Amino acid sequence: MWKLYSRSYLAHNRATRRSITAAALAAAFFLSLVGSLFYNFWVYEIERITLEEGGWQGRVTVEQSGAALDETLDALARFANVDTAALNTGLSENGVAVIDLTFRDLGDAYADLDRIREALELPDEAVQAHELLLSRYLVNDPQDSSPSLLMPFYLAVLGAVALALVLLIRNSFAITMQARLHQLGILASVGATPRQLRLCLLQEAAALALLPLALGTALGLAACSGVLAALNAAAAHVAGRHTAVFQMHPLLVAAILLLSLLTVLFSAWLPARRLSRMTPLEALRDGAAESPALRWKRRRHARLLALCFGIRGELAGNALRAQKRSLRIANVSLLLSFLGFTAMLCFFTLSGISTQMTYFARYQDAWDVMATVPGASLDDFSLTEPLRALPGVEDCTVYEKAQAQCFLPAGAQSDALQALGGLGALDGSAVPLDGGWLVDAPIVVLDDASFLAYCEACGIEPALDGAVLLDRVWDSLHSHFRDPLYLPFVQPGTEALTLAGDGGAALGDLPLLGRTGGPPNLREEYDDYALVLFWPQSLWQELGAAWGLAPAGAATRLTVRLLGRDGITQEECRALQTAAAALLEEGGYACTIENRIDEKIANDEMITGAQLILGAFCLLLAAIGLANVFLNTRGFVHQRRREFARYLSLGMTPAELRSLFWIEGAVVAGRPLVVTLPLTAAVVAFMLDASHLEAEIFLAQAPVLPVALFAALIVGTVALAYGLGARELLTGDLTAVLKDDSLR
Amino acid sequence: MELLQCTQLQKTYGRGAAAVHALNGVDLTVEHGEFTAIVGASGSGKSTLLHILAGVDKPTGGTVLVDGVDVGRLDPTRAALFRRRKVGLVYQFFNLIPTLTVEQNILMPLLLDKRRPDPDELRRLVSALGLQDKLQALPGQLSGGQQQRTAIARALCYRPALLLADEPTGNLDRKNSGEILDLLLLCHRSLGQTILLVTHDERLAAQAERVITLSDGRIVSDRRRG
Repeated sequence: MWKLYSRSYLAHNRATRRSITAAALAAAFFLSLVGSLFYNFWVYEIERITLEEGGWQGRVTVEQSGAALDETLDALARFANVDTAALNTGLSENGVAVIDLTFRDLGDAYADLDRIREALELPDEAVQAHELLLSRYLVNDPQDSSPSLLMPFYLAVLGAVALALVLLIRNSFAITMQARLHQLGILASVGATPRQLRLCLLQEAAALALLPLALGTALGLAACSGVLAALNAAAAHVAGRHTAVFQMHPLLVAAILLLSLLTVLFSAWLPARRLSRMTPLEALRDGAAESPALRWKRRRHARLLALCFGIRGELAGNALRAQKRSLRIANVSLLLSFLGFTAMLCFFTLSGISTQMTYFARYQDAWDVMATVPGASLDDFSLTEPLRALPGVEDCTVYEKAQAQCFLPAGAQSDALQALGGLGALDGSAVPLDGGWLVDAPIVVLDDASFLAYCEACGIEPALDGAVLLDRVWDSLHSHFRDPLYLPFVQPGTEALTLAGDGGAALGDLPLLGRTGGPPNLREEYDDYALVLFWPQSLWQELGAAWGLAPAGAATRLTVRLLGRDGITQEECRALQTAAAALLEEGGYACTIENRIDEKIANDEMITGAQLILGAFCLLLAAIGLANVFLNTRGFVHQRRREFARYLSLGMTPAELRSLFWIEGAVVAGRPLVVTLPLTAAVVAFMLDASHLEAEIFLAQAPVLPVALFAALIVGTVALAYGLGARELLTGDLTAVLKDDSLR
Repeated sequence: MELLQCTQLQKTYGRGAAAVHALNGVDLTVEHGEFTAIVGASGSGKSTLLHILAGVDKPTGGTVLVDGVDVGRLDPTRAALFRRRKVGLVYQFFNLIPTLTVEQNILMPLLLDKRRPDPDELRRLVSALGLQDKLQALPGQLSGGQQQRTAIARALCYRPALLLADEPTGNLDRKNSGEILDLLLLCHRSLGQTILLVTHDERLAAQAERVITLSDGRIVSDRRRG
């Protein structure tokens, strides 16, 4: 059969050859690219975790040393599934030994750790699994009710892409095979056995696809290597990031090749199976009926297209319906890619605006360098003045935060607040107590110098024997959070507040130096319904401990806020950060320190990185869809000749024939746009409304250009595919089709 | 009055030693209202002649005038408009558009011209062809005879000057063949339709007023009945 029929068929059907070759090449390329990218990202993630947290899979902590420890190590090594049990000398100290374990079969790691705990009679906390690392091998703690879904998510994405690519090859085969059913029917009618036909089709498929599959796989690997190199180059300046090295596992290459080859063979086998279930006469008739989708038994309408373009719209719409299955991947991929791309950019724009408004713009003048010193408190902090004296420092505030509550009698609320119905009317979660309210009273303790300066700025007589009250409560009934209206919280004459401990027990009266509507210039968020109090350091030393007030959060933590000159540069900011860090380190304080400009840059880079990765994924999706469009238009050149010859014989002009292609192309390219744009507009409108942002602000920063470029890419490529298809189809001799009955 | 005039019509496929002369100097004149059959053996050039007359193919020599139009010199767009408005074509395998209803198939040439069909005229046409109950059906739901009647209705809906039929009964059984022939005769007699029928069915050809025999791309006989 191969010598007799296939060789000459392939020699005389360049369109078929090219269509199958292109499908195999494209699918193998994308499959290889996506597969190897996934593999390399996975390997990188494992490397990153290993570098940052170590490569241990299980960890046992025992209070042992010497012979007892050796015995434990031996006992651990004797467990069948334990591959290595090694003492972690870096973490072991003072008679406490930390033993790192690796397992032969990771799937049993959690069960084995349980067995180890029981066998060595260790407490629960002495045995630990490296949950993050194990989760990357899809091994999760069976007790964990919410295991990490990152890897399953990635695998699902990989599976979906692989399925789309498998269907891409299958579709291409289906188109060309249907066109051959008539010929195969002839072969069957002259005595070819089903086995011969099957073998013949499989041989053809293998002959056509083997080389492109190998080439596509190699190209995909090369592209993956290129992507990694580009990512490395783009992230070269990120401190602490280790370079991704392109890696390839032979099993992965074999899997990609095998999957592609099996798909090709399966796609070729399907028409052979179909043929073996028909009589030769049925095959002859079926093959003459063009494509199965055109053998309609039910009336369908392309109403919208018919309305816009008349009978040409109806014909184009019907042709699209007939190609529905073969265009499914293209339709889904293009829609998802454009929708995903547009939604992602709009979301990032909205989120960026919100972050800019609520963080970067809001605190632009509040800080340049911030240091957080855990465990330290103002009582024993001696570096306030040296920090203030650092070159380039315009303003320095050192503060810590504490938490208290305050009993506020109903009558002590301001008249404006009472007129609205009191605190309970604004804050549904306010706690009533003895006819008044038990109100949260966050305390910000400022170093004395900063406190005095703050008093002065507020117009309050500077002193250190009382606190300043942030006298405001958000009128949530008449304003939204984006543009809040504040009312005075307490009566104007309030000179003291009663602080309360747990359960509302009074601690004592806190004298107030004054009330103010504006907080000091710090990078802090204040509760909308709380009585925020600013205390001087001296008062805190006197009353804080006496009243047993607790620090906010679990432990004491000191914050240093440094402000440089107006319009400070990145270099100045970094110099200030370095100087402050050195000073704190010299003073024996371990701290985390950041500067505003670098934080903004890091934030921008993180967003750009996320956009690039998601954008690249959308592009990949679009590329798969566009490849499908190309393969489809190449496939129909052969198949639709008779359809167009028929239109020609009816008096359709060449321009009208071309317009059918344009209408079809416009629908394929336009569908993702028509679905996405209104949908995105509606979602953005909803988000704008929910976040109380003005539409003008969003429109001024809307990602019009990238979305337009993405749309242009889709429209342009689809137009090119249909243009090439139309050119090839219409420049051929269509009249020959009308005269040649063998093509029926 | 002459509707069709071919002068030294030639059609050659290939070149040099491989050249095949499908038509080799055909001179033919057809009057308005004539029913002419063209017969000949397979490969005699009858279908090639019909395609050239329909403007589907171009001659390599000679001229062909249909209703005063030099068909061989038309550019592709004018040739398409000529096919749409001046001639009606009926094929052996019907060539209906499977995705359109019978009504849409019949009205196709009018719809391409964005013309509204005259409902009375359409009703008369489909009634005469026995298709009034099938207007909303798809071609795949019709018998072979019904499909060919639809093709004839489509060919006639523009009231063409010339109806060209290429083996219109070649794919039909005896009963349906008889019905189609009766329809063609009815069109000819009642509407005065000029018909050029290509067939190798002698029984069918015998019903025409004039029978032209082609052989090796030449007219070898031209007989008028009665």
